[in-house]
Amino acid sequence: MSETTAPAALKHFTLPIGPLHVALEEPMYFKLDLDGERVRGVDITAGHVHRGMEALASRRNFFQNVVLTERVCSLCSNSHPFTYCMAVENLAGIEIPLRGQYLRVMAEEIKRIASHLFNVAIMAHVIGYKSLFMHGMQVREIVQDIKETIFGNRMDLAAICLGGVKYDIDSNLLEYADSNLRRTAAHVQELIDIYRSDTFIGKRTRGVGVITPEDVFRLGLVGPVARSAGVPMDVRRDAPYAVYGNLEFSVITERGGDVHSRAMVRLREVAESIGIVLQILRCMPEGERNARLSAIPAGEAVARTEAPRGELFYYVRADGSDVPLRLKWRVPSYLNWEALAVMMKDCAVADVTLIVNSIDPCISCTER
Amino acid sequence: MEQAERENNQRDIVDAKIREALSLVPVWTENAYGNTFGWLFLPGPERLTGAARALAELRARLCTISAYAEQRDDREKKRGIAYHFALGGMLFTVSVRIYNPQTLEKLPVPSITPWFRNADWNEREFKEMFNIDIIDHPNTRRLFLDERLDAGIMTSLIPFSTLLHSAGSQDLWERVMAEKTGIAPQGESGEKIPEPAFTPVRLGGTVAPPESGAKE
Repeated sequence: MSETTAPAALKHFTLPIGPLHVALEEPMYFKLDLDGERVRGVDITAGHVHRGMEALASRRNFFQNVVLTERVCSLCSNSHPFTYCMAVENLAGIEIPLRGQYLRVMAEEIKRIASHLFNVAIMAHVIGYKSLFMHGMQVREIVQDIKETIFGNRMDLAAICLGGVKYDIDSNLLEYADSNLRRTAAHVQELIDIYRSDTFIGKRTRGVGVITPEDVFRLGLVGPVARSAGVPMDVRRDAPYAVYGNLEFSVITERGGDVHSRAMVRLREVAESIGIVLQILRCMPEGERNARLSAIPAGEAVARTEAPRGELFYYVRADGSDVPLRLKWRVPSYLNWEALAVMMKDCAVADVTLIVNSIDPCISCTER
Repeated sequence: MEQAERENNQRDIVDAKIREALSLVPVWTENAYGNTFGWLFLPGPERLTGAARALAELRARLCTISAYAEQRDDREKKRGIAYHFALGGMLFTVSVRIYNPQTLEKLPVPSITPWFRNADWNEREFKEMFNIDIIDHPNTRRLFLDERLDAGIMTSLIPFSTLLHSAGSQDLWERVMAEKTGIAPQGESGEKIPEPAFTPVRLGGTVAPPESGAKE
């Protein structure tokens, strides 16, 4: 039935989506006000996976919280302990040995590659391009194998600890990572070409879920969502941490601000991340991986990193004991989620899940 | 080098703006990577809107807001809120005391949503998690927790691990109360375990605390 011939009662109605839905990876609940096929208003309800993790963190000691923060979510499971440890190290004035910093960045960028490939593959799944979805996931599988081989796990790497890292690589692993990342790079270039030029992908994703640079500033958006609208915001470049200041990479931006631009930012960032890891493999210094730890003094500290979804922020407050008085974190999806109302305004119902996927939402992270 | 110069300039601009707007002097620190951090303490919430206005004029971005208890054994009264802003590569934290230091009476905080649109979720979250009152918030609906739960419920959280490590109800309550009151569990020193000072809550109503010597 077309919009013009539909009875009035069918033209204006409310459509609930979620909290469990086949196209949503995690529980979210949207109440859409529809005018025929068009979304005129969006109401978002959160809290389905709120676990009280911050309250838990203030009952565990600083070491136990490394394990706890790694379990906030699986896709960002390296970024959380990385940023948490940086906050504690900022508070205690702990300096990480150079090799430890390189290893931290290597783990982080390998996670970013896998996370971005997962998101763009899911985009293909949402638009019904099943063969591309499977191809994207197959490419990601190479990176999953790298993770399993180096770290022993496919998702939670357990790479980070207070003062440094818990893993190391020898020449065999280095060679293995190098050859497989080069293999991945060739596939990624192919994916970039397909996503950039495929007519079906273009028609389905260009001009959908648009945000402007002004929206980015007004809503405080971060990560690939901000960069897709032409805002070159990246903590790795704006406030370099670990060894990012020593590595060559570009901050990727696109100008469309739409679903397609967000996918292109992620795919091009995969290529940049592969470049970063290859640089690390070439120039990894010898030496200690871990700093000597000192007592954590009373006080407060903050730290932030560029997680796959954008700026990840940690705040720690201590009273001189081995248990933090307060541990607070804010994930990129917390900010980007609010942009959905702007992106969905006047979109077609069929675009809703596509737009949701385009911010790469992490609900487990957001609700904690 | 370039980054250090940029951050020094930014720091001078923020420093001057805060001195002019609030007649207060921020504290500046650096970490091992040369990143700059600014810290400003406000003794009460009345100057918070002035700080928000000044930082908005500098095109600061609100990163997040962290409510906290000043002391571990007093999670109800001595509360503060830290507002974290990014200015380019620099982070600036404004900490606000939100109680009267003489009477310990809690003080409401003004919403900063007029200057920072993304304060909306942060303020709703600290209201429901810490039971902090907000003035002039545009949307006071719960963000994460069900409306039937008391505000500030997370201060009464009993970790699942505590539950698991208890042999029975009596043991559980002794552990919980020992943590909250600092009194050693019964059996170790022979002291009486006091009744819980709070009421455990579940969805749909409250659960009466078990009486001393409750059956397992």
